[in-house]
Amino acid sequence: MALRELSSLEKYLGLKKPNKYTTRGDKKIPVLQSSNGTQLVGLLTIACHLVKEAKRPELLGDSTERRALAQQWLEYRVTRLDGYSKEDVKNILQDLNLHLQDKVYLTGNQFTVADALMYYGVHPLIVDLSIQEKEQYVNVTRWFDHIQHYPGVRHHLPLVVVLRNTIYTGRHH
Amino acid sequence: MMKDGVQGATEEEQQAQSKKGLKKQQKEAEKAAKKAEKQAKQAADQQSSEEDDFAKHRYGVSAMVQSQEKLDRTLVQIQDLTPAKADQLVWLRARVHTSRAKGKQCFLVLRQQQFNVQALVAVGDRASKQMVKFAANITKESIVDVEASVRKVELKIESCSQQDVELHIERIFVISQAEPRLPLQLEDAVRPDGEGEEEGRATVNQDTKLDNRVIDLRTTTSQAIFRLQSGVCQLFRDTLTNKGFVEIQTPKIISAASEGGANVFTVSYFKTSAYLAQSPQLYKQMCICADFDKVFCVGPVFRAEDSNTHRHLTEFVGLDIEMAFNYHYHEVIESITDTMVQIFKGLRDNFQTEIQMVNKQYPSEPFKFLEPTLRLEYTEALAMLHEAGVEMGDEEDLSTPNEKLLGRLVKEKYDTDFYVLDKYPLAVRPFYTMPDPNNPKYSNSYDMFMRGEEILSGAQRVHDAQLLTERATHHQIDLEKIKAYIDSFRYGAPPHGGGGIGLERVCMLYLGLHNVRQTSMFPRDPKRLTP
Repeated sequence: MALRELSSLEKYLGLKKPNKYTTRGDKKIPVLQSSNGTQLVGLLTIACHLVKEAKRPELLGDSTERRALAQQWLEYRVTRLDGYSKEDVKNILQDLNLHLQDKVYLTGNQFTVADALMYYGVHPLIVDLSIQEKEQYVNVTRWFDHIQHYPGVRHHLPLVVVLRNTIYTGRHH
Repeated sequence: MMKDGVQGATEEEQQAQSKKGLKKQQKEAEKAAKKAEKQAKQAADQQSSEEDDFAKHRYGVSAMVQSQEKLDRTLVQIQDLTPAKADQLVWLRARVHTSRAKGKQCFLVLRQQQFNVQALVAVGDRASKQMVKFAANITKESIVDVEASVRKVELKIESCSQQDVELHIERIFVISQAEPRLPLQLEDAVRPDGEGEEEGRATVNQDTKLDNRVIDLRTTTSQAIFRLQSGVCQLFRDTLTNKGFVEIQTPKIISAASEGGANVFTVSYFKTSAYLAQSPQLYKQMCICADFDKVFCVGPVFRAEDSNTHRHLTEFVGLDIEMAFNYHYHEVIESITDTMVQIFKGLRDNFQTEIQMVNKQYPSEPFKFLEPTLRLEYTEALAMLHEAGVEMGDEEDLSTPNEKLLGRLVKEKYDTDFYVLDKYPLAVRPFYTMPDPNNPKYSNSYDMFMRGEEILSGAQRVHDAQLLTERATHHQIDLEKIKAYIDSFRYGAPPHGGGGIGLERVCMLYLGLHNVRQTSMFPRDPKRLTP
């Protein structure tokens, strides 16, 4: 999962030659043997490294505030989303829905690598939602649909159908 | 040694017990004495009060009405109590909804069906202290005869249906006394879900309501629901009669299942067994073959499905239609949808009070429909579902969640709660369904939906004995058992179609309720046979 994600990220960043990854431990933490001989361990570390390699530092946030915010959501991704349980789903979606109420991207109005990695992480949750639930978490759905159509991000993941209009307005269900 | 010990213990115990017993006896004797004293005092009180009660002939418990006398007395209806009747002296019979004593006054809310009015007994030259006390002690739900003068009020009485007047009671007699403890409180039974939760007020759950249905049916909500249901039946009859339909009665004990054998009730019938009718299907078709042209039937229908859902009952009232048509079965669809539209219009125009009353407890959006009714084909519906991300096969039947989703999509696109879904796949319909001439995978059959839930299933029927035999064989039905049915098509049968509607479902979905038991007076489901 994490490896496919990293290779999709590489493609998005336009890196020409794909890196070779291995995994470590039960949780299959990704490991990258970099060209200068050092070992990079963990999804976030490798992702940040790839962004630097592609010379796209703005994807980590172009201001101190945005950098901190991006970092926060990247951490949310690996701490809350990886290995989520069924009971977590509702909380995660509520958190995210509230946060995205007045934002286009996670950090505001600029796409960062946090959007891509959160999209990869949240995808299995969204796939299972009914149309009614998607409407309930309307901000998440809007952000998700935007990211899945963001040029070059989706790659290995199937497109999720999202309705553009609300159909569950009334009390009746 | 051991034995002695045991004996000693028991003796001690006995002694202790007898001591206790003595004390107990003493106490009881004291109690009895006190009681006697109290009773004597009460009796004396009563006597003295009866002696100096000037109003004692103005109240009391009436002798049981055994039709001893024909009183020349006109009883008025609560709903007719308006300011126009101000200062008149009237008699009425009503239930005591609530009573509340306050010093020298006692306020009663008197109820007749869904209407209620405030009444007042106050100590004065018409009523004595004892009379007010008597009025305050009448148990809730008792039936009383009241003579009172109608008075206008300055401040509207918000809690009653008659807001502009109140009654000043001059006489009050109990006709039927209710037991003091009610199995459920009417106020609790009409409280909307969620409301009053913070005040810790009770709501009554559905099973308790149904266990005590007679009391639950007295609530304004129930009164409104079943008055509206009666309206549906009447509008159904009137509309169809105007269209030249004939009402028929069909047997409910039948020899063969009409729609697959799995979900029928078997009854023992002398030395053999019979079934309870799942629909009057075969009989209404035979009436068509017997030149009745257009028929309808209102009656019980039985389904032995062991499904405990919000919309399944094992016995419900079916409104069935069957009619001969000229060239195309859409003539039938138009006839049925027009009937439904007439019903919706009739309810909207004549039952607004009832709809509002139900809405107070169960809020819902007003029911919307189009004229003429929207007709979608099955393939179009599948395309809409596919667009919304639902994966399903071309010849697959609609699942309940997909049915509801489709209802939502249709509502969003066409703004209607009522539509027809036409051209179902042949494979999911009963054997007597006419195949589509253009595509044998489909059929000339249709369902109708209200708020995304099915209320009617219908089709053009096969009126050709040979094709019917073929289809029955294809469905592996024992031809011997449906011989009479197939034979009826051998001597000239007009092309015809029809459908059956569930009365309870129509009421439930029109009002936007969530459980079909709410619109069935005495519901029957796999777990409920009483009351």
